[in-house]
Amino acid sequence: MANFKINKGFNVKVLGKPKAEVEEYAHQQLFAVYPSEFEGLKPRLKVKAGDSVKRGDVLFENKKNEKMLFRSPCCGTVKAVNLGARRFPAEILIERAAQEESVTFETYTSDAVRQLPREQIADHLLNTGLWPLIKQRPFNKIADPAKAPKAVFINAAHSAPFQADFSVVLKGDESAFQTGINALAQLTEGKVHLCKSAGSDIPDFEQAESHTFAGKHPSGNTSVHINRISPILPNDTVYTIAAQDVILIGKLLTTGELPRTRIIALGGPAVKDEHRKYYKVPLGASLKDLFEQSLEGDEVRVVQGNILWGDKVNADTCVRYYGSEYFALEEDRSRHLLGWTMPGLFQYSSHRVNLSSLMGFAHEWKLGTSMHGSHRALVVTGWMDRHQPLNIMTDFLVRAALAHDTDEMVQLGILETDPEDFALASFIDPHKTDVCSIIKRGLEEIEEEGI
Amino acid sequence: MKALFDFMDKNIAPLFEKGGKFERLYPLFEAGDTFNRTPGDVTPSAPHVRDSIDQKRLMIFVIYALVPCILFGIWNAGNQFNIANNVEDATLMTDLLRGSAMVLPIIFVSYLVGGLWEVLFALVRRHEINEGFLVTGMLFPLTLAPTIPLWQVAIGISFGIVIGKEIFGGVGYNILNPALTARAFLFFAYPAQISGDTVWVGSAKTTLDNNLFFGTVAENIDGVTRATPLAVAAAAEKGTDAIAALGNAGYDWVNMTLGNIPGSIGSTSVIAIVLGLGFLIATGIASWRVIFSGIIGCAVMGALFTALGLDNAFSQIPFYYHLIMGGFLFGIVFMATDPVSCSATNTGKIIYGFMIGALTVLIRVANPAYPEGAMLAILFMNVMAPLIDHFVVQAHIKKRTSYARALNNA
Repeated sequence: MANFKINKGFNVKVLGKPKAEVEEYAHQQLFAVYPSEFEGLKPRLKVKAGDSVKRGDVLFENKKNEKMLFRSPCCGTVKAVNLGARRFPAEILIERAAQEESVTFETYTSDAVRQLPREQIADHLLNTGLWPLIKQRPFNKIADPAKAPKAVFINAAHSAPFQADFSVVLKGDESAFQTGINALAQLTEGKVHLCKSAGSDIPDFEQAESHTFAGKHPSGNTSVHINRISPILPNDTVYTIAAQDVILIGKLLTTGELPRTRIIALGGPAVKDEHRKYYKVPLGASLKDLFEQSLEGDEVRVVQGNILWGDKVNADTCVRYYGSEYFALEEDRSRHLLGWTMPGLFQYSSHRVNLSSLMGFAHEWKLGTSMHGSHRALVVTGWMDRHQPLNIMTDFLVRAALAHDTDEMVQLGILETDPEDFALASFIDPHKTDVCSIIKRGLEEIEEEGI
Repeated sequence: MKALFDFMDKNIAPLFEKGGKFERLYPLFEAGDTFNRTPGDVTPSAPHVRDSIDQKRLMIFVIYALVPCILFGIWNAGNQFNIANNVEDATLMTDLLRGSAMVLPIIFVSYLVGGLWEVLFALVRRHEINEGFLVTGMLFPLTLAPTIPLWQVAIGISFGIVIGKEIFGGVGYNILNPALTARAFLFFAYPAQISGDTVWVGSAKTTLDNNLFFGTVAENIDGVTRATPLAVAAAAEKGTDAIAALGNAGYDWVNMTLGNIPGSIGSTSVIAIVLGLGFLIATGIASWRVIFSGIIGCAVMGALFTALGLDNAFSQIPFYYHLIMGGFLFGIVFMATDPVSCSATNTGKIIYGFMIGALTVLIRVANPAYPEGAMLAILFMNVMAPLIDHFVVQAHIKKRTSYARALNNA
């Protein structure tokens, strides 16, 4: 148990915080699974359009590890398998049937899980398609089941607008969460760390060590938690998992069937006020109806994730495998007259060059997606470290990544990070450098070369 | 206005975009277009929002910080001229007009010639026209003597932009501060027009004749000789009192602070520079680490020389004179803080600034051939900045691994 205070950071003041109430989101007909969500995965399809599948039937498997299966979230007929670039299956659409048939798996009690050997739990999770919820650092990829990690980090914190508040998600599922923790504890020889935001109403759990993190964003980022609690050394691996996903694992183990629902937070300036809240949605179900009634604005961007980090998704997306929040904001293509010299009262900024940074922080802003400037050559100024609580020299790391210098990247600590840790550096950079993509490419290069 | 912009977006912009008739001229179009209005681009991927700051705004705000220096420089050039040439009916207005006639052509030539090079390279190398040029084009004239021939301004800024910046790849890739590179080039190539005792104040013969706007010149003086405070102090005989020598030449700490003395156009007035400094610090553009450690470095080195008790007269002036004499303060506030050529690490910035201050005094006192040490000190530390950063980064790497190990063992 430890309490950490993160001193550096920055909170983006944006409008549209979801209220802490959960609404059931009614049944849907269309379901989807997106193999493209699993980066680096080479899927082998087991179904084709027209096949009928039971809830829990295998849809595809990992070519590199055939034990790793991906199963159907609903019972029905495969409507289409849409291929993306290079004939990669981008999405598998499933039409729900009226009658439900499910595949069932073995059930365990919460206490029995504590006695299970590591292999059995890993195999069970691989077989049921829940293993990919567990990620591994460095490189933030699907965990390697063969190698026991140094520790497991459960992220129950929230700092970016608007990451789901886990205390809202957890209500009523405490025992499933405990079962999930028990399973994770068997996977590692070390500890399970449960990382919460300071002041959030989450109890302590057995088998897990609780930590609280106070401070501005990125105090809720997993990299920060790892860095403060047990930094990654060369040859170390740690498992990471989002707190809600632990509940899913717990439910699978105790009920013996695939978990049905997930709670998502919907927020952002382009969401109508009364719809900014939490929704209990069926896994894989289409969110089209929800977005249709809750979004407002001419051209809205929906993000699976928060305002700083996440993927753009279509407004007819289905609930994704990962992630507990969706954020909507308007595409802002407005152009401002003589923007280089206006006082900047009405333009959101963290820099004192804009007056808004001194006066406007009391209220929440209706932010859009404007770049607010054109791209310029990177200047190594040290500014990018301004909101970086990790012990990382961001500017130099970016420079090393641009120069493809893998040795220096590793020395400067890139393995401790994930592209999401550089979202604030991208945000504040006056040269509009795409820091996250540069770091992402650097990590890919290192992974290819091997450390 | 909106109709005009809509017309631009519909009919003009496509000509310059990929596949358009004037595709090669896109950087030029982009520069003009985004000068009028911020670009309408949206974020391609996460993070989905961006800060509303951009390079344009940063650079323009440096120009704003220079405004007190520019205005004072114009007045001072005219005022010095009118005093030296015994202009009878000199008023504030004639000072300003005379100063404008001397200074504005220099600024104009600097922007024109420098801008041509910048645009030429942007078009050929296909990079954006960088707003950093706006600062370079303004800093350079402010470091010159008001009587400098315009052709030298053109050659100097050409050297600064091309050799100091563009051959490295443009803003962000250069090693030296381009404005200082330009000035150093002139200093070594044409020493007669940029140093010595006769260049700081214009004489009636060498500049403009009498007329309605500028006042009446009573007598035509051929070449006005006024040594700068630095030259006076450097020339002081061994064993004499440099302060007294300065006093005899008409300099005391009051007028050196106010700045109504001969010198480079923008760098004589401490008050104007401090106004700019305040603006830069308040807006968070310039690094306070560089500036304050520079001032401390200068003061410490000055005090050290005084304490050593050498028989070099210059070394015996109090340290605060070093701060207000010559171009040091202008250099440390506006030149040394150039984000491209300065150290990038926080520790590095402190070392970098301190060394500039210390070296400035060292060069001034120890080497009478170069009365102004600030320019050379900054250029030297520009070259050293990557080395400083290298050591700071190495120390950081060592520290972070040992930190991780210690925490894991605990």
